[in-house]
Amino acid sequence: MIAQIVMATGFTLILIGLYGALSNRNLLRMIVSFTLAEAGVHMVLVAVGYITGRTAPILDQAVPADEAATLIIDPLPQALVLTAIVIGVGITALMLAYAYKLFEKKRSLDIGSFTELKW
Amino acid sequence: MVNAIFLIAAPLAAAFLLGLLKEQWRHAGYALMLVALCFMCWLALDWLLMFAYRGAAPVEIMTAGTPSPFAIKLRMALPEAALVLIVCVTGLLSALALRDTLLRLGRRSIAVLLVAIMAYCGIILTRDIFNLFVFFELAAIATGGLILLSNDERALAAGFKYLVVTQVIGILLLVGIIFTYHASGSLNVDDMVEASLGMMPNGSLIFFLMFIALVAELKPVPANGWALDIYESAHPAYSALFSAAGASAALYAVQKLLAVGGADWLPVATGIGIVSFVIGNLLALPQTNDRRLLGYSSVAQTGLILVVLGQRDVLGELTDFVALGLLCAHAVAKAGLFWLSGLIVRRELTAWATLRGHPLMLFAFASLICLLLGLPPFPGFYAKWELVHVLAAEGRLALLGLILFGALIEATYLFRWFGYAIKRDKPAEDLASAPGGILAIGATVLIGWGLGYLWGELSGRANLLTLLPLLFALAFVLLEWLPAWIKNALAIAGMAGYFALTWSDFDPLRLIFAVIFLAGGAVTLLASFDAHGRRIGFYPSAMLMYAGMTLLIQATDTFAFFAAWEVLTIGSYFLILRGKDSEPHALSYLVFSLGGAFLILAGFALAAQGAHQIELEALKTVLTPLAPWIFLLLAIGFMTKTAAIGLHIWLPGAHAEAETDVSPMVSGILLKAGLFGLFILLMHMGKQQLYGIELTHLMLWVGALTALLGNLMAIFQEDAKRLLAYSSIGQMGYALFGLAMMNHLGWLMALMFVINHYIYKSMLFLSVGGVAKRTGTRAMYQMGGLISLMPLSFIAVLIGIIAMSGVPPLSGFGGRWIFYNAILDSEMRLPMILIFLSGPVAFLYLFRLIHTVFLGQLKDQHRKLKEAPFWVVLPQMIYVLLLIGFALVPGLALRHVDHYMNQFFPEGGLNWEGIHISSLYGYWEPIPIMLIIGGIFATLFLWLLFVNRRAQKVKQFNIVFAAERPYRPETTHYAWEFFAPYRKALGFLVQPLATRFWNTLADSLHNGADLGRRLYTGNGQTYAVQFLAFVLIVYMLGVGGGLS
Repeated sequence: MIAQIVMATGFTLILIGLYGALSNRNLLRMIVSFTLAEAGVHMVLVAVGYITGRTAPILDQAVPADEAATLIIDPLPQALVLTAIVIGVGITALMLAYAYKLFEKKRSLDIGSFTELKW
Repeated sequence: MVNAIFLIAAPLAAAFLLGLLKEQWRHAGYALMLVALCFMCWLALDWLLMFAYRGAAPVEIMTAGTPSPFAIKLRMALPEAALVLIVCVTGLLSALALRDTLLRLGRRSIAVLLVAIMAYCGIILTRDIFNLFVFFELAAIATGGLILLSNDERALAAGFKYLVVTQVIGILLLVGIIFTYHASGSLNVDDMVEASLGMMPNGSLIFFLMFIALVAELKPVPANGWALDIYESAHPAYSALFSAAGASAALYAVQKLLAVGGADWLPVATGIGIVSFVIGNLLALPQTNDRRLLGYSSVAQTGLILVVLGQRDVLGELTDFVALGLLCAHAVAKAGLFWLSGLIVRRELTAWATLRGHPLMLFAFASLICLLLGLPPFPGFYAKWELVHVLAAEGRLALLGLILFGALIEATYLFRWFGYAIKRDKPAEDLASAPGGILAIGATVLIGWGLGYLWGELSGRANLLTLLPLLFALAFVLLEWLPAWIKNALAIAGMAGYFALTWSDFDPLRLIFAVIFLAGGAVTLLASFDAHGRRIGFYPSAMLMYAGMTLLIQATDTFAFFAAWEVLTIGSYFLILRGKDSEPHALSYLVFSLGGAFLILAGFALAAQGAHQIELEALKTVLTPLAPWIFLLLAIGFMTKTAAIGLHIWLPGAHAEAETDVSPMVSGILLKAGLFGLFILLMHMGKQQLYGIELTHLMLWVGALTALLGNLMAIFQEDAKRLLAYSSIGQMGYALFGLAMMNHLGWLMALMFVINHYIYKSMLFLSVGGVAKRTGTRAMYQMGGLISLMPLSFIAVLIGIIAMSGVPPLSGFGGRWIFYNAILDSEMRLPMILIFLSGPVAFLYLFRLIHTVFLGQLKDQHRKLKEAPFWVVLPQMIYVLLLIGFALVPGLALRHVDHYMNQFFPEGGLNWEGIHISSLYGYWEPIPIMLIIGGIFATLFLWLLFVNRRAQKVKQFNIVFAAERPYRPETTHYAWEFFAPYRKALGFLVQPLATRFWNTLADSLHNGADLGRRLYTGNGQTYAVQFLAFVLIVYMLGVGGGLS
């Protein structure tokens, strides 16, 4: 159940994010929308790996290594999420840097004012 | 073997090391990067050689020592090694070209470049889809950084648009990946293939998300506005990497996924690919910015390779050969062109005229364009040959047509651009100084030619770069530093020598063509001794054309024939382009010729019926219903070269605007290549019927109309060389008519025209060219009375027009005689009347030529003119002797051919008894005719001299003006509108309908493309919306349409 809720929320976030990114002309709002969508993707990733009734894939006293296979959820999506988050941060940072530079150049944050390159 | 993981480890280590260096040690950092890149190149090359020559088995690399899915698996095999090599070499050369920028910006930028190259290698090597995602994102982040290497401020906006689309792609990809993992239990591509993802519930949707995200990295039309903006604004050395390495990596990623998706997804890939190829090329037409144009071309080329991947079901084992051939050609050529663009200061296409002062750079430009277009002898040529044959064999004709159409458009804009470089005003500024860039360009050109050789070896067909004539032509590139006269002597010696070596190998028909192409070419080249200086570019082009023609008559199979055809087309294009005002005409020549060549290619491919190359003789065995269509394709293709009516509009400009010694080559000699093609076609395919219409009858009509209209158009020309050019159209019409009669004498007559037209048209072009050279004009009304100043040229023209008009005693009469005999054999009466009509018309323009140029009054400014230069006159005199000789003993050339033709038409040959020639209907004795006519001429001439004593001399200005007011000075000259009454009567026949038709077609393509490219509004958000729309459309058409 919880997995479904997380997944549904994730997809909703993706859609909201995409809608936001495509309907807001302000560069910063677009970037924020994309982070929202990314968060949604990460939730979907986690939800896919979740198995009801199992615990986090951390081997300690509660989860001995030889019984791990039956006790923990799928660790792979969790690893993927970590990587995806890192990459997401990188791209967001780069976009913010771009937005800053673009603003410096034109004193505008409207995506519509950067259309010198076209056709 | 060094482990392939070092392809990823080495750049990473170097990038980390860079961080340890002091900020000031820029040269050390740069050197470190070069070392790393060299190491990677060596590593990739080493692997490639292992797989290619020692047959090593593919190697799988488990990164963490455990199998997938617990660790990432990399794979190294032949395709990976080749692609990684492309990436690393492009990276290394780009780094050289970027030297100044990287040194200025320091170690951070160097590290980013290394990461980009590492990411591309990673995309190629990895078998893990999440890893693929990671490398793609790394490439994206690196791209985001590298775009800013540019001096162009607009690059900033391009980078942001790119990141926006990257975000959307990333979201789709991640969602696809996680559900794929959920469904198949693995992230490894090979495991997914086994799990057959497409069979699972929702499998196709999941797969679609991943697939479309990776396809988006190929910048497909219309979801590619962001990429075009990057190409336009980024540093060209980076664009080179982005285009060459980026496309290689992304294509291979798509290829991996296609293996997972299975056969159902191939049509989707094909569809996306062909749309990108055709539309991308169309939208490139109206571009004026060089880098944006290259961007569109990159998009198109990538699309074409995607088509190849999508045709894996029919290409089978050939897929790698074709795809890699096209990819290598694209990567090398595009990278080279981008680096070249880095040397050009301004961005308009016309600014490339700067290259004109740098012959080596021009050679590079020409080589790269040919490489990109897949012209022989480059890899793309072999690849396209196989592709077209497979498509034709499988009946995928629409796709085949679209590919050839796209390729023609691509050739149009690339060669138009080359024409700008050769012909437009040279900008004030010189090339930017960039030693690294020049080094990179040089390396690219060498690699391009090397690949041409390699693909020739791999193709299993004749390797074009081992053929003597072609090598001879290319050798002149290396000899360009010599003065023109030495090169000319070498060229003549080479052609004559090659003829001496090979003449005994030809059958009588081919021997006639060999004499004209090789010996005749050598005679025409005598006129080129007149040129001074080094005449850079002339000899490679001319020899390329002659090499093509030589190979054409030596060809026995379709591949060799077609390769030769393209070689002669390219060579003659470069040659024609040399004329002063020939830029538009050379282009139209090339477009028509390549269009014709593609029809020929399609015809050959259809005829091969699954084979990939057939003997020319096997054209006989093609059966209906295919045969008439093949006949039609080939015939139209060849008739493009002979300028049959409707397809003739390129000829007048191309022949008239060419240089003095080039006009006879392209008119007297080159046109015969088309006739040779028609000979071969009719010889092997004979009569064909399509919907009950006898196709040779159609040809007969085309020939007759061409003869009539060509001649009519000739009489209304003011320009002497244009007059001769239009006359060639008419003459080729006669030859076409003769061939299409499909009887013994008709063919003999066509052959007679081949010989005659070569001699007199070469001669006339030379004499008119000589006159134009002296008077500085080609307009006939600006000449007159040159007979006493240029007597030798006059004699040549006189002999020429006697021969051409077909009156006795010269060889033209023999032609007519055979012709009339042939007509009596034929049943076609109506076109015959047209042909008869065109005879007197020809007389009109010939009369005008000699009358207005040599007779009448001498112009004041021409009083001190001298005879044309010796070297221009010499070949004319040789031709005079040849004409008289051929008139006296036609049997020398013709009787063997006459005999040879008995195998096709046993009936209706001529009887050759000594000097007496007879047919069913009459006889012809050349020598007595010559004597009788000579006698009459001498008598009349003496009588004229006798009566001329009493004539009253009138001074030039002793004239009476009529009461007319001239609007323009030339209208008072009798030579202006010489045949005005005829124009009133017959002008409606020579309305430029064909010209209007082709111009309208070209304009509508151009305007349509201009409208179409407005899709790319420049707004990053619009681009993202377009991408999503693209995703939806592909989903609905591809998945909804056939897959779900």
